[in-house]
Amino acid sequence: MSHPSGHAPVVEMTGITIEFPGVKALDSVSFRLFPGEVHALMGENGAGKSTLIKALTGVYQIAAGTVNIDGKAVRITGTDAAQKAGISTVYQEVNLCGNLSVAENIMLGHEPRFGPFISWRALKAQAATFLARLHLDIDPSSKLSEHSIAVQQLCAIARSTVVQAKVLILDEPTSSLQQAEVDELFAVIRELRDQGVAILFVSHFLDQIYEISDRITVLRNGSFIGEYMVSDLPRLQLIEKMIGRSGAELEKIDKTSERRDPQQDATPIYQAAGLGKFGKVENVDITVHPGEIVGLAGLLGSGRTETARLMAGVDRPEHGETSLRGKPTPINDPKTALKNNIVYSSEDRKKEGIIGDLTVRENIALALQSLRGVWRPIPKAELDTIVERYLTALRIYPANPNMLIRNLSGGNQQKVLLARWLATQPELLILDEPTRGIDIGAKADIQRLVVEQAREGMGFVFISSEFEEVLRVSDRVLIFKDRVITDDLDNAEHTLTSTDILHAIAALTDAKPRDAAQPATHATVTKEHNA
Amino acid sequence: MTAPTVTTTPAPQGAGSPQRSWGDRAAKLWHRMTTPSTLPLMGTLVTLILMLVIGQMRYSTERRDFVSIKLFSNLFVDNSYLLVLAVGMTFVILTGGIDLSVGAVVALVGLVIATLLPTGLPLVIVLPLAVGIGSLFGFMIGVMVHYFSIQPFIASLAAMFLARGLANVVSVQSVGIDHDGFSALAGWSLKFGEGRDIWKINSSMLVAVAVLAVAYLLLHHTRFGRTVYGVGVGDRGNAIQLMGLNAGRTTLWVYVISGTCAGISGVLFAFYTKSGFNLTGIGMELDAIAAVVIGGTVLTGGAGYVLGTFLGVTVYGLIQVMIAREGLDSWWTKVFIGVVLLAFVLLQRAIARKKVR
Amino acid sequence: MTTSPVQRIVGAVWHHRLFWPVVALIVLLLACQINSPGFLSIDVRNGALFGQPIDILRTAATPLLLALGMALVIATAGIDLSVGAVMAISLAVSLTYLQGSASAGEVPTVMAAVALGIGVALLCGMFNGFLVSVLGIQPFIATMILMVAGRGIAMLITQAQITTVTSAPFKFIGSGSVFGLPTPVVIAAVVFVIVAVIVRRTALGMMLESIGINREASRLAGVNSRGITWFAYALAGVLAGLAGIVYGAPTMAADANNIGLMKEMDAIMCVVLGGTLLSGGKFYLSGTVIGALILTTIERAVIIFHLPSQITPLFKAIVIIAVCIAQSPELRTWLHKAGGRMRTKTPPSAPSTTASTSSADDPRKEVAVS
Repeated sequence: MSHPSGHAPVVEMTGITIEFPGVKALDSVSFRLFPGEVHALMGENGAGKSTLIKALTGVYQIAAGTVNIDGKAVRITGTDAAQKAGISTVYQEVNLCGNLSVAENIMLGHEPRFGPFISWRALKAQAATFLARLHLDIDPSSKLSEHSIAVQQLCAIARSTVVQAKVLILDEPTSSLQQAEVDELFAVIRELRDQGVAILFVSHFLDQIYEISDRITVLRNGSFIGEYMVSDLPRLQLIEKMIGRSGAELEKIDKTSERRDPQQDATPIYQAAGLGKFGKVENVDITVHPGEIVGLAGLLGSGRTETARLMAGVDRPEHGETSLRGKPTPINDPKTALKNNIVYSSEDRKKEGIIGDLTVRENIALALQSLRGVWRPIPKAELDTIVERYLTALRIYPANPNMLIRNLSGGNQQKVLLARWLATQPELLILDEPTRGIDIGAKADIQRLVVEQAREGMGFVFISSEFEEVLRVSDRVLIFKDRVITDDLDNAEHTLTSTDILHAIAALTDAKPRDAAQPATHATVTKEHNA
Repeated sequence: MTAPTVTTTPAPQGAGSPQRSWGDRAAKLWHRMTTPSTLPLMGTLVTLILMLVIGQMRYSTERRDFVSIKLFSNLFVDNSYLLVLAVGMTFVILTGGIDLSVGAVVALVGLVIATLLPTGLPLVIVLPLAVGIGSLFGFMIGVMVHYFSIQPFIASLAAMFLARGLANVVSVQSVGIDHDGFSALAGWSLKFGEGRDIWKINSSMLVAVAVLAVAYLLLHHTRFGRTVYGVGVGDRGNAIQLMGLNAGRTTLWVYVISGTCAGISGVLFAFYTKSGFNLTGIGMELDAIAAVVIGGTVLTGGAGYVLGTFLGVTVYGLIQVMIAREGLDSWWTKVFIGVVLLAFVLLQRAIARKKVR
Repeated sequence: MTTSPVQRIVGAVWHHRLFWPVVALIVLLLACQINSPGFLSIDVRNGALFGQPIDILRTAATPLLLALGMALVIATAGIDLSVGAVMAISLAVSLTYLQGSASAGEVPTVMAAVALGIGVALLCGMFNGFLVSVLGIQPFIATMILMVAGRGIAMLITQAQITTVTSAPFKFIGSGSVFGLPTPVVIAAVVFVIVAVIVRRTALGMMLESIGINREASRLAGVNSRGITWFAYALAGVLAGLAGIVYGAPTMAADANNIGLMKEMDAIMCVVLGGTLLSGGKFYLSGTVIGALILTTIERAVIIFHLPSQITPLFKAIVIIAVCIAQSPELRTWLHKAGGRMRTKTPPSAPSTTASTSSADDPRKEVAVS
């Protein structure tokens, strides 16, 4: 491990303040980054992590404060200025051009040229060497969009090695990666760190933070809380600093595991047999009873999300029978699902959830209004009551129904979406990654809400890549593997553990333990891997 | 086709490797031809061939084939101005923009030439000046789009009104161009063949081909060209910007290129009609857009080929020729072009659906 | 806080999305009044109102009818380029029917003719809507098909003749007056009220906006985006048909080549001048009215200033450029930076900050500043 204390910081930001109309996004925040270290930037959603990063990368202009790079005060006026200063960024959503080749994406801007013309041969050769350095074996002339997100991310990192960045910012690079891919990414990060690159790492996964980083800076509500060596900061303390609350709130999450009585004997709300769609999932049988929470567990692409989408008619099933409350009812589009009291909350909040330029109030009203039809508006008084009820019940902040939803933090947007679905009083609520990328407080709120609603008879399908979370809320866990359900585990007594799920997933696999990609959050296993 | 035999190849072992590489290349080429992004282009090509076959069957006489060099020669005598216009439009559409001003610019440029030449200004000044007017309009749209975030549709609509208004100020009547140098330039051509089979290459065709060649090099072999493609996807240039390339300047230049092409096209159209008229080119921008779309470039940007545009213009010209051959009234052309456009859009849509599945 | 009420009001007015359009309209009207005193005066003759302002209203009716439909289409992130051609088709159908009828002067015949014209226009709108909402074709190209082909179709209907008829009731639609106001003005006002009620008193407006902002999320929320989008195009078609009849009624001549030529551009201009973004989402009907008034006032001003009417496009261009630049968030940012006395603590008004191309994440803005 390199110890940065001997060096001078490569980046030193002091008293950084950034204002948006009506909001102070950052208030006098300080941040240091040393060469040859991995520095984690931690904080809940809305703490100001992305704002700070965008200030450093020249996307936002700072209102007050200074930025020193290599000891010299600089003004970062734009993204190109940041890159000239040696700062490269890899974003969560890959910001490269999918329609260009891998080689172009890596080299564009630094391409070898013959006169004004690009020398394609040399460009491909150079790109290949940069890819080889990251142990990435792909055809440089293939289109970027043909590759997985993980590979695209590695391409983005390859690009940063071309410009010989002094500072590499990784903004949630692991959120859509599988464990094997995360391992690969971390190997690359370590290699770059050892070459003296300063790496700023942002992730929601605590285990990853503790695995890869040397130092942590914590932000909360746009303010600087502190800078710590990882070895000096146990997880619990880190969490407390991030949320500004003691462990009490966290305990509440575990209380959700109180026993409930799913009405196993009642007619199932939802029953499907042989549900499937070519290339998505095959022959899924699934039953949800009133008051039951069915967890779907599996790896990315195993068919869990695909099943949820077929259940709610988001994608049209190609075969299979569905019956609702014992009555055969085909569900081919979200409208029909909604009319039959089934709603689906997508994993992609931004693209398939919020209507950014509408208000919180309108966002809540949308599904209920669709249910009633365009021509029968919800009376104002009624809507007021509904909105008010959910703003309070879900602790949505700020509790201003007339605010545009896109100005809310991720966690609060998710709560508004939950309010949208709950307002339709569904019998079956399918939640796909409802807590992804949101802070611990909001996570606890959402889990508690799910359990409460189940107690009142609502049926749930709950999908999360965090197995602990699935176990915490579910009565039954269906295991998905390679587009089919391979197991149905009972969890009524909450006796299942993550290891059970892992075993269930691995059960049909060939013995390839190193390859069995676990969810990133599974603490013990991840540690063992890298020990 | 035939593999080299041992007798003709000195080193039998060496024969294997080029053979395999040919197979590889063929496979690669086939792969590239059938990727979703090139399929529309293939569709254009197939349509073109189909039309030629139908034409050949319907309009050939015992003495003359319909498909002949003469057909293509005539087609590009009539449409070289449209090719130049469509090439410029391709740049803009690749970035996800649109330029509605080009038809009006063609009218303005024609009138400027027609009014300036009689004043005695030499041709070497007038023609570059005329092209420069086009560039200026393009620059203006680019500034509005880039610096003021005005949507391309509206910015170019404003430029269209401006150009049309200025053209009306210059003259509201058709102004004939009677200038020796100009006529010589417009009438210059290389003639080939004899008798009824005579065909020619005129100055407009050379200019159009030169513009096409330059555009091809620019788009496929320079950083600028690749940036144009990049701006068309990835968050309206955000990705390109975050990669440290200059999306804004690229956007600006794309409109300057389109404007310049409109200027050149105005000159070619003046060559063609030997006059300037303020009502020229109403709807010409739509012809250009239609040709680009038929050529397989996607209106949302990021995908397409300038050579596809060439095919698109050819298809467009062929439609006109065939309508004329059928002896139908001129407004049928419009209906028919609408139908062909519909067919192409449906085809592209079907391909896109298949890609999703 | 520290801002006084006066400052707050000034800020609200300054940042209101209709500030620049209204200023443009007032400046235009005042310029006309100064150039030709008495421009703004209105007389009563034979129980009907007369005067330049009334004339402007009358002329504004056609673009307004088109623009109301266009605004809804634009809200769904679409566009309808075919409205000009649809005007020509609907007028051609109506007049051809009247021409062939023995009782062209009677009210029921005229009503049938109008219904027929609007019916065909509805079909055109349905066709556009089908291409866009069912087949998922880009609106620009989908409506361009009818824009190109539509005029040819109108020529087929009129047999390439300029169809002319005489029918007093039909003429009344274009040049009569009701309650002292020209019929077109009354028609436009009634249509405006109906559209406004349909849109804002039901959930249609919200759904249109939600489709325009995020189509996929709307679909998942159960919004019938196909039906609603289709409805918007159909309505745009109907209003275009009505506009064609209103526009052609005074002359009663269906010139398929020229009726409604470039009117789609005028309609789009009205919508955009009114503060609605072409990228879809939030739309403003009242702004659209202002846009239509600006457009017609420009055309009138050219006459008042004794300028050749052919140069009207020039003034349209100047006004579009001026208003768009004035509305652009870049200029406001720049003015803020310049530290004018107008600076207030209120955030810029919604439309300028919601511009998709101008979000705070847009790095291009910073480049422009740097």
